[in-house]
Amino acid sequence: MNGEIIAFALLSAASVLGALAMLYVSKVVHMLLSLVLTFFSLAGIYVLLSAEFVAVVQVLIYSGAVSIMMIFGIMLTKHKDQENRPPNIKRSLITGAGIIVFFAAVYGAIRKVPFGEQTPNLHEANTEQIGIKIFSYYVIPFEVVSVVLLAALVGAILLARKEGDDQS
Amino acid sequence: MISFAWLIPLFPLLSFLVLILSGKKLKTVSGYLASLLTGISFIFTLGVIADLRSVTEYEATWTWLTIGTTDIQAGVWLNPLNGLMLFIVSFVSLLVHIYSLGYMGENDRRATYFAYLGLFTFAMLGLVMSPNLIQFYMFWELVGLGSFLLIGFYLYKESAKRAARKAFIMTRIGDAGLLVGLILIFWQTGSLSFTEIFQAVEQNEFAPGMVTLTAILLFIGAVGKSGQFPLHTWLPDAMEGPTPVSALIHAATMVAAGVYLVAAAYPLFLASEWALMIVAVIGAFTAIFAATIGLVQDDLKRVLAYSTVSQLGYMMLALGAGGYVAGMFHLTTHAFFKALLFLAAGSVILALRKQNIKEIAGEGRHLAITKWGFLAGTLAISGFPLLSGSFSKEAIFAALLEDGQYGLLGVALLTAFLTSVYMFRLYFMVFHGKGADKPPKSVPVSMKIPVIILAALAVISGFFATGFADWLAAEQEYAVLHHSPTWLIFLATLLSLGGIVFAYFIYVRKQMDREEWKTTFSSTYTILYHKYFIDEFYQNTIIYSTRAISYLMYYTERYVVETIAAFAAGMVKEIGKTGSRLQNGRVQTYGTVALLGLAVIVLIFVVRGGYF
Amino acid sequence: MSSVPAQGYLILALILFCIGLFGALTKRNTIIVLISIELMLNAVNLNLVAFSKYGINPNMTGQVFSLFSITIAAAEAAVGIAILLSLYRNRRTVHIDEMDTLKH
Repeated sequence: MNGEIIAFALLSAASVLGALAMLYVSKVVHMLLSLVLTFFSLAGIYVLLSAEFVAVVQVLIYSGAVSIMMIFGIMLTKHKDQENRPPNIKRSLITGAGIIVFFAAVYGAIRKVPFGEQTPNLHEANTEQIGIKIFSYYVIPFEVVSVVLLAALVGAILLARKEGDDQS
Repeated sequence: MISFAWLIPLFPLLSFLVLILSGKKLKTVSGYLASLLTGISFIFTLGVIADLRSVTEYEATWTWLTIGTTDIQAGVWLNPLNGLMLFIVSFVSLLVHIYSLGYMGENDRRATYFAYLGLFTFAMLGLVMSPNLIQFYMFWELVGLGSFLLIGFYLYKESAKRAARKAFIMTRIGDAGLLVGLILIFWQTGSLSFTEIFQAVEQNEFAPGMVTLTAILLFIGAVGKSGQFPLHTWLPDAMEGPTPVSALIHAATMVAAGVYLVAAAYPLFLASEWALMIVAVIGAFTAIFAATIGLVQDDLKRVLAYSTVSQLGYMMLALGAGGYVAGMFHLTTHAFFKALLFLAAGSVILALRKQNIKEIAGEGRHLAITKWGFLAGTLAISGFPLLSGSFSKEAIFAALLEDGQYGLLGVALLTAFLTSVYMFRLYFMVFHGKGADKPPKSVPVSMKIPVIILAALAVISGFFATGFADWLAAEQEYAVLHHSPTWLIFLATLLSLGGIVFAYFIYVRKQMDREEWKTTFSSTYTILYHKYFIDEFYQNTIIYSTRAISYLMYYTERYVVETIAAFAAGMVKEIGKTGSRLQNGRVQTYGTVALLGLAVIVLIFVVRGGYF
Repeated sequence: MSSVPAQGYLILALILFCIGLFGALTKRNTIIVLISIELMLNAVNLNLVAFSKYGINPNMTGQVFSLFSITIAAAEAAVGIAILLSLYRNRRTVHIDEMDTLKH
């Protein structure tokens, strides 16, 4: 039992807890906040996996940007702040059954897959390595992603804009 | 003229089509139109017969269907036998049409009636001209349909409907035999054309025993159509139809179809000793069997019906004993005198409005023409010397003697005696007696003319026996007219006259008390009166067992099959309902369905280790 | 040095993915559905990163790909929220059951 295992256990417990809380709390904002817990825990797990840069990005984008965006979404729409109708039990059961089958199958597959134990030094100058990788091997995808982001930006503005704004 | 022979059946068909399509508008002229068209058909027939004297055989066919390597032909086939049948059919049909003008009078549905007559005549003319068995079979079934429609013409009468159904079903039994025979013949020879079948018979192409089998199967068809024992019961019941129809069915057409079938396929029968024997025995048995029933029946038309069955038995007997000419000659003379008897009986029924001979009790004596016509027919059928029936019967006796069938000859002679007894019983009871003396309704002229013509033919047609034999002999070498020795002629005449005298003493002079006979031979009387209980026998055996099977099937269908069907249908319906419920436009539902599909696929992948 | 087995990360990812899937398919609020989808994407990212360390051929590519994936997820979230707002303006609801125009 070393520190890594303890850290993994705590972080994974926190992330699963956050996800489950998302399912069972009643207020929409609480759901969102519980999920933020999951996102933070995942950032910690990324650190365990020698991906410090990804962890930071995770915190910035998910815990920060996406969550804030969702909060804006909640604020801009009208809610009675909680689910007012009882959940659809039948569909929940059917979906749950399907998910359990899926889970069992994939779980079985994971148990059988052999993994190498070898650990390259990903954590040494992690950000530098990523930078080299992106700007040497993945320049074109990187640029394409920027175009996608631009398109998403324009699209989001276009969609979210009030109708009838064309004249103004 | 002969190349236009194919037009002959088309005129009655035209009559049928016109009347069935626009009969309501043509009500008053419908009968005249139908008679005119049948008359044209008759004139064409006469022309064809005139040609046939020089041509003797004519066949015109074209390919109708090609199945694999087999061509099925349709067309016309004419030879002396066909010509003879054409003449009888179109002639009697024409007379019946004319007679019906009067008989149907102001009946509301007379256009329909004449339409059915046209269909029936068309079917019969087509039947006798068929060059192959498949066309023959089609017209054969059409004849059955026509008879069904005509027997059931008074469709408001329950008994008429029942009789029509019975006729249809009983003849269907025979038809099944014919169909099987037809298929066997095709299997053996690869052809259904009469001429090719005969060639095959000559060259012994049939498998052993197959000739006999096919001949017997064809004969079963003839038994059904011609009302031979044991399928005879429909014929007396068919009396529910209008009387002219009875004349048409019993004299010239439907019942003659069976005899014609045996005659047309005669080489096939000649090739098998056994088949001929069976034809002869069935014919003889039917003849005497029906004659005994005829002795005690009280319904005017029913007695005539049983006499028809009996006379048809004679024809079969003659054919079975090798008396080809005798049989066909008897068919011809019988066509005349039986049509005459029925048409005369129709006049009696129309004038007196009753047909039970005990109720009539001599009231018919006021109808002069009808009376003399009926007498001529009765004398003819009884074999009174020098009338047509005596010649044809004598030819049959001669054929039997020639063939050495002494037992059957005895039966035939006894039947001849019985025939004259019951026919004169009928005649005396209808036209001699002290029934009510009120003048009966007058009979229209259109009904008298056919009776007169037929009476003349019934009297004189016997003198054409030799010419008739020559006519048929032009084509077939087996068409030989047998001449009987003097003692046989003498014996037959004696029996015929004896029957007449016997009937005279019982029914006119009342020398013997009929009621006393009834009590003395009460069991015999009961059996005969109930027609040997054949109908009851069928009712209690075949019909009940069929009904039991039907009920079994019905309940199986109702409870087993329908449950399965309902289950299948319900399942499909439920699946459809579920499917349509899934199409509710909600993303999550679609997502769930997709997930379930994925789960199933993954599960299969896990369990089977691959996609199936 | 005994460390956490690779299976542990994968199973964690699987659990999160399944929870996200369940949320996406059963929650009524469209925003929660969207965020459940984000959770599923996160689970996938976790897989990528885990394989970048413990895979048959471990290298940096997994992390780079997870970065791309996070980027696209963010763009998707932005567009999703924009669509949601637009829908809300038209239908006055964020209730996903009432958005059944796919049927028409």
